[in-house]
Amino acid sequence: MNLQKTQFLKRWSLLLLIPLMVLAHNVTNAFAQSAETNKSPQQAKGPNGGKILSDGNVTLELAIFERGVPPEYRAWITQDGKPVEDANLTVTLTRLGGQQDVFHFNKNNDYWLGEGVVTEPHSFDVSVKLRLDGSNYQWQWQSYEGRIQIKEDMAKKVGITTQSAGPASIERHLPVYGRLVTPPDHKAQIRARFPGVVTAVRVNIGDQVNKGDVLAIIESNKSLQRYELRAPIAGIIQERSVNVGETVTNAPLLTLVSNKKLWAEFKIFPSQRSEVQPGQIVHIIHNNHTDESQLTHITTTASGSPYVIARAILNNEDGDMAPGDLVQGQIDVEKIDVPLAVDNRGLQSFRDWTVVFIKVGDTYEIRPLELGASDSSYTEILSGLKPGDNYVVENSYLIKADIEKSGASHDH
Amino acid sequence: MINAILRLSIERRFLIMTLMLAVIGVGIWSYQKLPIDAVPDITNVQVQINTEAPGYSPLEAEQRITFPVETALYGLPELDYTRSLSRYGLSQVTVVFKEGTDIYHARNLIDERLSAIKSALPAGLEPEMGPIATGLGEIFVYTVEAVPGATLENGEPWDAMALREVQDWIIKPQLAQVPGTVEINTIGGFDKQYHVLPDPQRLLQMGVTMEDVASALRSNNNNRGAGYIEKNGQQLLVRSPGQLATISEIESVVVGRFGNVPVTIKDVAEVAIGKELRTGAATRDGHETVMGTAMMLIGENPQVVAQDLAQKLEEIKLSLPKGIEVEAVYNRTSLVDKTIATVQKNLLEGALLVIVVLFLLLGNIRAALITAAVIPLSMLATITGMVQTGVSANLMSLGALDFGLIVDGAVIIVENCIRRLSESQQQIGKRLEFRERLELVYQATSEVIRPSLFGVAIITVVYIPIFTLTGVEGKMFHPMAATVVMALLSAMLLSLTFVPAAVALFMGGKISEKESRIIVASKSFYRPVLEMALRFRWLVLSAASALVVFSVWLLTTLGSEFIPQLDEGDIALHALRIPGTGLEQSIAMQEVLEERLKDFPEVDKVYAKIGTPEVATDPMPPSVADNFVILKPRSEWPDPDREKADLVAEMETAVAQLPGNKYEFTQPIQMRFNELISGVRADLGIKVFGDDLDQLVITANDILKVIEGIEGSADARVEQVTGLPMLSIIPKRMMLARYGLNLNDLQELVAAGIGGEEAGLIYEGDRRFKLVVRLPETIRTDIDNLAFLPIPLPNGDFVPLNEVADLALKPAPAQISRENGKRRVVVTANVRDRDLGSFVEEVKQQINQQVKIPSGYWLDYGGTFEQMESASQRLMIVVPITLLIIIGLLVMAFGSLKDSLIIFSGVPMALTGGVFALWMRDMPLSISAGVGFIALSGVAVLNGLVMVSFIRDKWRQTSELTTAIIEGAIIRLRPVLMTALVASLGFIPMALNTGTGAEVQRPLATVVIGGIISSTLLTLIILPILYQLVHRRKK
Repeated sequence: MNLQKTQFLKRWSLLLLIPLMVLAHNVTNAFAQSAETNKSPQQAKGPNGGKILSDGNVTLELAIFERGVPPEYRAWITQDGKPVEDANLTVTLTRLGGQQDVFHFNKNNDYWLGEGVVTEPHSFDVSVKLRLDGSNYQWQWQSYEGRIQIKEDMAKKVGITTQSAGPASIERHLPVYGRLVTPPDHKAQIRARFPGVVTAVRVNIGDQVNKGDVLAIIESNKSLQRYELRAPIAGIIQERSVNVGETVTNAPLLTLVSNKKLWAEFKIFPSQRSEVQPGQIVHIIHNNHTDESQLTHITTTASGSPYVIARAILNNEDGDMAPGDLVQGQIDVEKIDVPLAVDNRGLQSFRDWTVVFIKVGDTYEIRPLELGASDSSYTEILSGLKPGDNYVVENSYLIKADIEKSGASHDH
Repeated sequence: MINAILRLSIERRFLIMTLMLAVIGVGIWSYQKLPIDAVPDITNVQVQINTEAPGYSPLEAEQRITFPVETALYGLPELDYTRSLSRYGLSQVTVVFKEGTDIYHARNLIDERLSAIKSALPAGLEPEMGPIATGLGEIFVYTVEAVPGATLENGEPWDAMALREVQDWIIKPQLAQVPGTVEINTIGGFDKQYHVLPDPQRLLQMGVTMEDVASALRSNNNNRGAGYIEKNGQQLLVRSPGQLATISEIESVVVGRFGNVPVTIKDVAEVAIGKELRTGAATRDGHETVMGTAMMLIGENPQVVAQDLAQKLEEIKLSLPKGIEVEAVYNRTSLVDKTIATVQKNLLEGALLVIVVLFLLLGNIRAALITAAVIPLSMLATITGMVQTGVSANLMSLGALDFGLIVDGAVIIVENCIRRLSESQQQIGKRLEFRERLELVYQATSEVIRPSLFGVAIITVVYIPIFTLTGVEGKMFHPMAATVVMALLSAMLLSLTFVPAAVALFMGGKISEKESRIIVASKSFYRPVLEMALRFRWLVLSAASALVVFSVWLLTTLGSEFIPQLDEGDIALHALRIPGTGLEQSIAMQEVLEERLKDFPEVDKVYAKIGTPEVATDPMPPSVADNFVILKPRSEWPDPDREKADLVAEMETAVAQLPGNKYEFTQPIQMRFNELISGVRADLGIKVFGDDLDQLVITANDILKVIEGIEGSADARVEQVTGLPMLSIIPKRMMLARYGLNLNDLQELVAAGIGGEEAGLIYEGDRRFKLVVRLPETIRTDIDNLAFLPIPLPNGDFVPLNEVADLALKPAPAQISRENGKRRVVVTANVRDRDLGSFVEEVKQQINQQVKIPSGYWLDYGGTFEQMESASQRLMIVVPITLLIIIGLLVMAFGSLKDSLIIFSGVPMALTGGVFALWMRDMPLSISAGVGFIALSGVAVLNGLVMVSFIRDKWRQTSELTTAIIEGAIIRLRPVLMTALVASLGFIPMALNTGTGAEVQRPLATVVIGGIISSTLLTLIILPILYQLVHRRKK
C-alpha cells in the first residue's frame, strides 16, 4: 500500500508540476523579451571583408580597400571556389546628382584591382557587370552613407536654405593693436639760432600756427639784432619753455606738433610676421570709426622686443585722433578671388572631414572638402565640390544631426 | 479554536456588529491617510550628490570633484554601490544603499563624509545632496508665461529673463512653503545678471586688466555695520552703506589711474543686464518658457500635496504682476483621480453584479446583501492594513483585487446557512426557535468553514513566489501580492466573524429560500450529465487530459511580458540630438517638434525640459530634451475609442520626419524611474573598468567586435563617451615665460573672459543678482578672432592670445561615467533566438580568448540576464516548495493524500480555461495574468475542497460511493455556480475596461473568466469522476 501510495504520488505530482513549471519558466522568460528591440539585418561579409555577390557557381567579392592607400576597389572572382584568371569586370557608381564613375578591373596578384580612386563619400548606386566565359552576370545595390531625405515643406519649415557654390572674393584680415604716434616730420622743436634775450613770444600752448608764422622774437647777444623765429611747419604749439625777457641758449624754446598726419604703429608678433608686408591695406578702428590706410614700413624695435612695428600713415585732418591713442588694425593679409567658395555657415565637421551638404531634389548628401583660404564669411574649396552644386547654408547643423543621429557607419 | 471563534461570533453577535462599525471607522480614517499614487514606487534607496562647477569640463569635473567625493564615500555602512557622472559644469555622484536603509540616516552619514572633504575640493565648490524625493516625486509642473502684448513697467515686452525673475522671487518662495514639498526646481529663462563687459582695446588704452576690474568691483560693493554710539542716553547704530545698486553706480567705480585721471568702469566697459550661461531651457507649445517642477518629499501623499500646490498656485496668481499667466501643465492629481475612478467603478459594478447574482441564485435579498457587505468591509480592512504596513494604493496594488474571490468564502458560508435554515424550517414546518437558529447557523458555518479557511490559506501560499521577487520587479509586485493577501485575510476573518453573526442576526423570520428556476433547471440538467460522465469516465478523463496538454502547448506559444505597462494617460518622449548640439540649436529644433505634436487633435499641451535644471536632479546635456505630451480627456478626442498605442505610433511616424531628432517614447513617471534607476537595460552589459578613457574605448570596441561575431547577438553597441566638440586653449610654456606670464594668468583671463568671473552681488530689495565680469558677447563668441585677444603683460604691454597659446578644436569626452569609484565604459548587447545562458557563457569564453585586457583593467558582466538567472533560479526552487506546501495544507485538511491530490488536480484544469481565454483575446502572459491564474487555482481548490468534503460526509452517511458522489455534487451545484458566476460576472467590467489601469486588470479578468468556466466544469464533472476512480476499490 505504502509503495502504491508513493508511486501514485509520483505520477500525479509530475503531471501537476509540469504546467506550473512551464508557467514559471514563461514568466521568467519575459525578462528577456521585454528588453528586446528590433534587430538590424547583418550583412554577409567575405573572407577579405568585402561584399559577397554570387550567381550560380560564380562568386564575386568586392571590397573598397583603403588601408595605407587612397580608397580603391579590389575584387576576388571565383568559379566553383577556384580563382578565375580571365574575366571582364566593370563597376559603375552612380552618385547623387547623376555623376557616374566607371571602374575597369585588371588582375593584380591574387585580386582584381579597379582603375582609379573611389572618392569620398562612398555613397552611390553600385552596378556590377561581370563577363565570364561568354556569360554575363549583373548585380545592383545601393550603398549610401551620409545621405538623408527631407521633404521640401519640412526643409522650409525648419529653415534649411541652400545656395549655389560659385566664385567668391576672400579677404582675410589680421587683427593687430598699436598706438598712434606723431610722425617725426610733424614735430618741430624751435630753438634760437643765436643766444639772446626773448623780446616777444607771439604764441601760447595750444595755438594753431601756419608755416612761416612768427612765433617769437629774439635779440641776439652778439649782433643785438632782433630776429624772428618762424614756424617751420604748420601745427599746434605743444610746449612752451620760454618767456619774454629770458635769455635763451641752445635749449628748445617751443615744440610745434602737427596732428594732421599720424602714424599708427602696430605690434606684429612673431607668429604674424610672415603674413604682414608693406603695402598691405589696413583698416584702422578708432572709437568706432574706421579709416583705411596702407602699411608703409615694417621696422624692428631697438630694445629687442619680441615684436616688430608695422607702420601706417593716418590722415587726421579733423583732429579726432591723438598721439598715444590705442587703435586696432585689421590688416588685409590676403585678398584673392577664388573660382569656388562656400559660405562658412554651411561648413560642418563630419568624422575627420569638413563637409558641406549638397541638395538634389529632396536628398541631401555630404561632400567632404579640401579647403583653401578662408575669411570670416567664405572659404575656398580646392576639391570635393563642383561649381553650381546646391549646398545647404543656413541650418546645415540639422542635416549633420540627422545623418549622425542614426549612428551612420562607414561601411560598404 | 475555529469553532470557539464561531461560537463567540454568533453568541456575541452585537459585539461583532459594533466591531464592524469600528472597522468601518478605522477604514475610513485610514483611507484619508492612504498614500494614493498611480504606480508603485520602484526607486531604490539613493542619494544624489550634485556639485555645480561652473566652467569645468567633464575631465576636470571628474578629477577635481567626482573623485574626491567618491573616495570619501568608501565604506559607508549599508552601501550598495556608487555611480557617477561628470559633465560640463556638473559632477553627480549617486549613492545607492541597500534596500530598507533609512534615507535620513544615509543622508546624515553622507553629510558627515562630505564635510570632511570640503578642503580637498576646489574653493567655492559645494557638493549638495539632491532633494529627498523618489521617482514619483515630480508631481506638479507649471509654466510662467506672459500674456501676448503684456509689457514690463518700462514698456518693454516680457522676456525670458523677466519671467524667470517672477518665478524665482514671487512664485517659488511661496510654493516651497506647501507642506510635503521638498524642492521647487526651476528650468528655463535666464537668471538675471549684471554684466560688466570690458572692451579689450579700452583696457589696453587705460592700462587696466580684467582682474583689476573684477577686484575693483569686489572692493567697492559692501555695506558695513560699525557698532553703536551712545549719545545723550540714546543708542545710535553706525553703518556705512556702500552696496552698488544701479548700473550708473557700477559704472562709476574707479578701477585705476591713467596719469592723474581716475579710470572708471565706464571708461573701459559696458555695464548692462545680461543673461547667465545657462545649462538648461524649457519650452512649451513651440516657444520658450519658464517652468517650475514641484518635488514631493518621500512618503508624502501625492494627491494631497499636488492638490495643495494647485490651490497655492491659485492664491499666488493674485500676487503676480499684470499680464503674467501661471498654468499647471502637469498635476499628478488627475492621474490619481483617474486611477481611483477606475478602481471605484470596478468596485461598484462588481459589488452590484455580485448582489444580483447572489439574489438570483439564493432567492434571498438579505442573504445577498450580507454577502455583498463583505466587499466594502474587507476593502476598508485592507486599506487599514495597507496604511499600517506602508503599502501605497496604486494601479498595481489595487489592480489585482478580485472581489469574486474575496466573497467566495462568504458565499459558501451564507449559501450553506440558508440551505440548512430553509431545510430545517421545511422539516419542522415552522419557524425555528431563536436558540435553534443560532445553533443551526453555527453548525452550517462550521460545516464549510474549514474548507473555505484552507482555501484562503492556500491562495495566500500561492502568492509566496511573488514575494521572492527582488529588485524592481519585487518593488512592483510586492504591494500587489501584499494587498491581495491582506484582502483575502480580512475576508477570511470576516467570514469567520461577521458573516455568521450577520446571518444569525438578520436571517430570522421565514427563510424564503426559493430554489430559483435557474438552480432547479441546472440541477435537472446536471444530474443526467454527471451520471453520464461517471459512466464514460475514461473518455471524459482523457478528453480533459488532452485539453490540459493542449493548453500547456498553447501556453508556450503565448507571448510574454514581465512588467505590464501602466498607462499614465500622458506621453513622454526623449528627443535626442547628437552630442555637442548647443542649447539654442536644441531649442530651435524643439520648437518645430512641439508645433508638430501640438497639431494632433488629441494633444492638449506639450512641454519640454532641455538640458539640466537649476537643481540637477536629472542631468542631461543640452542635446537631450524630455518632452511631455499631455493629452486631452478622451471625450474631446475626434475618436474617443482610439487606442493610445495607435496614437503613439502615429506620433512616432510624424515626428520621425523632423530632421536631426531621435526619439524614445515613454511615459512621465516611467521616464523618471528610468533616469533614477538607470542600470543596464540590455540583456547583457559588459562593463570595462580602468583608468585611461582611450584605452577603455579601445578595449570596449574589441569586445564589441567579439560579441558581434557570436551567434544570437543583436543591437550590440558601445556606450558613447566621446564626441563633445571642445575648443582647447593650450598654453605654450616657453612663450609664456618669454613674456613673463604665469600659466595661471593666462587661464584666469581665458576663464574670466569667456566664462565670466563673479564679482559680487547686486541687491534689489530681497532679490539678489550676480555681478559678472566677462568679455562682450561679440568678442566672446567670435572664435575666429579669439586667437588675437590681447593678453595684458605685467609691464603694461600686451601679447595676442595665439602668441602664447595654441587653439585647437577637437572632440573630447562628453561625459565620464564611473561606477564604484572607477571609470567605466559599457558594452551592451541583446540576445535574439538563443538561450541567454549559453550566449553569456560563450561571450565570456570568447572574450577571455580573444580580447587582450591590459593590466589594471577589468570586466564586469551584468545586465538583465543576471536578474533573470537569479529570478528563474529562485522560482525553480520556490514554485515546487509552494506546491508542496499546498499539498501539505490539503493533506492537513483531509488527512488523506489521495483526496488532496484529487483537489489539487483542479489547478491544471482551471489553468486550461485561462490559457484559452488569453489566447482568444491575443494577450501575452504577464504577471497580471499570473495573478489571475493564482486566483483561479484558489477558486478551483476552494470549490474542490468544499465539494470533496461534502461527498465524503455523504459517503460516510450513506456508505454508497456513487450515490454519495452524485448527491454531494448536486448539493454543491448551487455554491459552485454561485462562486463561478460571482467571480466571472464581477470581472466582466474589468475585462472590458479601457480606462486608466485597465492594462493591469484586463489580463487578470480575462484569465479568471476563462478559467472559471473550465474550473467549474472540473469541479462539477471531473472531480466526482476522479473521486469515484480513486475510492472505488475501497469498498
